[in-house]
Amino acid sequence: MVDVEIPLLVQPLVILLSTAVLTPLIDIVGKQAKAEKIRDIFAIAGFVAAFYSLINLHSAISSAGPQTYVLGTFGVPAGGVQLTADLLSVYMALIFCGIGLLVAIYSVRYMEVDSGLDKYYALLLTLVAGMIGVAFSGDFFNLYVFWEIMCISSYTLVSFRKYRWEPVEAGFKYLVMSTVGSLLALYAISLLYGYTGTVNLKQLSTIISSGQISASPLSLYFTIGMIITGFGVTASMVPLHTWLPDAHPAAPSSISAMLSGVVIKTGVYAICRSLFTIFSPASFDYGTVLMIFGILTMTVANLMALMQRDIKRLLAYSSIVNIGYILTGVGIGGYALSHYPSPKLATPIAVFALMGAMFHVLNHAVGKGLLFLCSGCFVHEAKTRDIPELEGIGRKMTWTGTSFSIGLLALAGVPPLSGFWSKLFIILAGFSIPEDSFMKFISILVVLNSIFAASYYLWLMQRIMLKEPKPKIANAVEAPASMLLPIVILAALTIVIGIWPGAIIGLAESAGRVLLGG
Amino acid sequence: MYAAAASAAVIIGIYGVASKRNMLKTIIGIEIITSSVGLNFLALGSRGGIVDPLAQSIVVVSIAIGACVAAVALSIMINVFRHYGSLDLRKLRRLRW
Repeated sequence: MVDVEIPLLVQPLVILLSTAVLTPLIDIVGKQAKAEKIRDIFAIAGFVAAFYSLINLHSAISSAGPQTYVLGTFGVPAGGVQLTADLLSVYMALIFCGIGLLVAIYSVRYMEVDSGLDKYYALLLTLVAGMIGVAFSGDFFNLYVFWEIMCISSYTLVSFRKYRWEPVEAGFKYLVMSTVGSLLALYAISLLYGYTGTVNLKQLSTIISSGQISASPLSLYFTIGMIITGFGVTASMVPLHTWLPDAHPAAPSSISAMLSGVVIKTGVYAICRSLFTIFSPASFDYGTVLMIFGILTMTVANLMALMQRDIKRLLAYSSIVNIGYILTGVGIGGYALSHYPSPKLATPIAVFALMGAMFHVLNHAVGKGLLFLCSGCFVHEAKTRDIPELEGIGRKMTWTGTSFSIGLLALAGVPPLSGFWSKLFIILAGFSIPEDSFMKFISILVVLNSIFAASYYLWLMQRIMLKEPKPKIANAVEAPASMLLPIVILAALTIVIGIWPGAIIGLAESAGRVLLGG
Repeated sequence: MYAAAASAAVIIGIYGVASKRNMLKTIIGIEIITSSVGLNFLALGSRGGIVDPLAQSIVVVSIAIGACVAAVALSIMINVFRHYGSLDLRKLRRLRW
């Protein structure tokens, strides 16, 4: 036993970051002992330990309420570095860490042809640590630091295969757009600091809702706009999405699964957390903006997805579509709260919409992680990302192909798979006030987009699974077991969540309630 | 007044990122935005002769983060130069929409 007791809240971060530091050292030892895989197993063990501590943290929070930890002796009044975990943060952190664990298992065989794997695992660990840190941040400054940890690791991972031109170009594009975005968000934070004198989320919320600030509502709306724009670059909202369809195909497939499954969700999380905590949705009408951007995001991305020949590019555009659903869900919640003052009417609708959005975060993380990992197997065998050349490969690789179809059906929203429920909640929340024609219009657009998306998912499934295999891929064989394991786990998860959604709905609902103040 | 200078510098930085063709100048644009956000924090952190240590510590850490971003950006730039023999962003248009 170690004497020093690390608080439960800090444990996952400490585990992940110390594993990241130790992985290169373990790699040196492993190379001398002629056992290079020790490094992979060590990184996976780090993820398992972090996941276990997150489960402990979740049970501690659900019995004893949110936990707070102030790092250092700087003291609370000036802000300090405050880590806070409530049910929403721990829900997101569990998704991040779970996908990270599965991706690490997948990478053992998928990445074995590459060199520099000690750095790969170290960066993967810091990426997950950064995301969990964003989820646990109780103040804006801490959030920004962890945000940049996450961003810098993901730039490096996107351009990991630097001997090819595509990752380098995509990495540079991603770096420029995302850095400017985060700096805009930091500028918004500095303005808020100027108005209030603090960066702590709770204190900001108290000061702004009490109305004791010199800033006019217009300048607060300017700050809201900067926050949405800044974090929206990483969340890939439509006018700011152009980095994503380049970065996702260029990255190794395991990293595409990470980026698409969880990194862009961190952007959505940062938008929701900062807006809903600081600016009460009853007095600031950002719900409408989020709703309009959500619809724009899903419509544009759907149209673009239909034109793609590259399988990973198509999946990348479909990630943008799903971000659109989540943003619309969040937006419906904010809109209902700001346009219907009676809490008796608005709160249930907002809870329902946010629950749908949070549930969709999980479903899309699982489903899109699954699809990218499967497409990684296909690309690994066929050495091409071109859909016409990949036709029929699902018949050669039965397990991967079946899981791929399950993932496509789940994201298309076919009942009883998981994607059906979350889309249903978002759409039902939109239809819940029959008199409101704007909300009804938005929900009809969501329904139309979701049908449109289902059409190309089914089309992709038909080409991958049903067509006769081309001679070029006649030698394709099933992926090795350690690559199949995460795929099968994710596919099973989509089915299980779809058939017994009750437990996850409970988690998502409590997470959504946190955004509305408990 | 410092805050006004900071917001002007943010706009100059964004202009630099958006319009310059040379990768190095794009990176310089990013650095200008980083410094001007720091300047904004410092300007808003001192009111009535009292200097808030919170703003100072934020700026120090954000300078460190800016250095990390610049390091990654420059290393990507070196790799671009190895592939293309040029730093002109117009030559980097092989990515489709």
